Amino acid sequence: MPKILVVDDEEHIRLLYSEELKEVGYEVITAESGYRLLETIEEEKPDLVVLDIKMVDYNGLDLLQDIRNRYYDLPVILSTAYDTFKEDMKSIAADFYVVKSFDLTELKKKIAMALETRLPT
Amino acid sequence: MAFYEENPHKIDSADIVAAIPSFSEAEGIGYVVEQVDRGLREHFGHLKSVIINCDNHSSDGTKEAFFSAPGQVPRMYLSTPPGVRGKGNNLRNLFEKVRELRAEAVVVIEADVKNVQPLWVKNLAEPILKGVGYVCPLYVRHKYEATMTSSIIYPLLRCLYGRRVRQPNVGDFGFKGKLAEVFLDSPVWTEAVQNFGVDIWMTNIALSSRMPVCQSFMGGPKVHRVKDPYAHLNVLFQQVLSTIFDLMMVYADFWKQVKWSKPTALFGTDVHEVDTPIPVEVNAARLHERFLEGYDEHSATWPRIFDQTVVPKLQEIHGMGLQHFSFPTQTWAKILFDAATAYHKMNASERGTLLDSLLPLYLGKVLSFVKKTERMSLQQAEEYIENECTIFEENKPYLVKVWE
Repeated sequence: MPKILVVDDEEHIRLLYSEELKEVGYEVITAESGYRLLETIEEEKPDLVVLDIKMVDYNGLDLLQDIRNRYYDLPVILSTAYDTFKEDMKSIAADFYVVKSFDLTELKKKIAMALETRLPT
Repeated sequence: MAFYEENPHKIDSADIVAAIPSFSEAEGIGYVVEQVDRGLREHFGHLKSVIINCDNHSSDGTKEAFFSAPGQVPRMYLSTPPGVRGKGNNLRNLFEKVRELRAEAVVVIEADVKNVQPLWVKNLAEPILKGVGYVCPLYVRHKYEATMTSSIIYPLLRCLYGRRVRQPNVGDFGFKGKLAEVFLDSPVWTEAVQNFGVDIWMTNIALSSRMPVCQSFMGGPKVHRVKDPYAHLNVLFQQVLSTIFDLMMVYADFWKQVKWSKPTALFGTDVHEVDTPIPVEVNAARLHERFLEGYDEHSATWPRIFDQTVVPKLQEIHGMGLQHFSFPTQTWAKILFDAATAYHKMNASERGTLLDSLLPLYLGKVLSFVKKTERMSLQQAEEYIENECTIFEENKPYLVKVWE
């Protein structure tokens, strides 16, 4: 069962993502901030990270850089309420992005694509 | 081995090699040498560096301009024999020298660039020293700059090799010294690779080498001294496309396994001031004319190359006027997939005709892109290209099927 780490400082988003993604068969763990995120990834070894861009104390795009520099191939999906982040070059290091919504169809589709992505090792 | 070598400092090893390939660049190479020299001293002063000019035996004083430019880093000059031209031949001499010097990192910057900065050297070399295998720069580009990259090279390479490298044939790059060995061992060393095809050839080989690839943001556009993007279009188009198709045959077992694509790591995001792109004017009416002329000249060839659904679609596109012109991306992806497959299966002597027949279709695709994106910002046009890449990826199973 693929393990997904949801990083978001809004509790209702963590709950929503968690419940809906568990329903379709994923194991879900959550983090409420970017604090010790790399350590969490090291310990939990998620198969994919859903990362909020704008958190109170953390910039998701900076966290994305940290993740990508250490975990070259770990899929990261950016989750955001606004699409202005696309002006920031750093966003191209993400596998996908989704606009936050109560309908998680797009997020589930992107998660499935990211987990299906196959490159020869 | 290079036909001719001047190594006045008797350099026999180096940590970093900065290479400047050239042909008749006496006027501009001095500036590039000066900036590269500064970049090496400012950012890698603790390492052993050398600047190498890989030249096509220029007779305009390129070598003298290279050696006389201000700077402190030791220099070396390599040359092909008289009459032997092509950036690929220059880089082959470089690969052999890199192997001999056992260099850890190699940076290549073209000799005709007007706005090189020391930071470019840092952004191309530092990721290599941190463990990356190959670095492609990301320059700031206008939405209509490098349309061959946007409409063919990027979507095709991305769906084949699974990495999103946005400017894979920009001409400058960084690579791990060990990769020089891989380049020298490549079974594909055609006339196209010896010339315009070498940039895409290197990136293609790097992508299939399984070494980590990253992109480095350079903070501005790349400005060539003199560059008319359409001056060598026919030759450039043939050489780049044939190189991609030739390598598809070599790496078929690799690309058939790839599904969807992944991003690369990104370096250089700490650039604070970002320059704006240089405006590019496009003559839509001329593109349309060339599409129509090419249609008349080559449409008899297409039924032998393309799937039966493509030709009626091309007839439909041909019938559209300039005002409503549109070239669906799904049709375009199928055209390139069918063309690659036909290229693979046909005699080498027929391939030139096939490639020639694709040029007007490419110009039609560019026209369609221009019309769709004329009111879009750079950002929106980039998103449009990303969506086109997804269409290529979605249609890849078709390529795998017809290839076999």
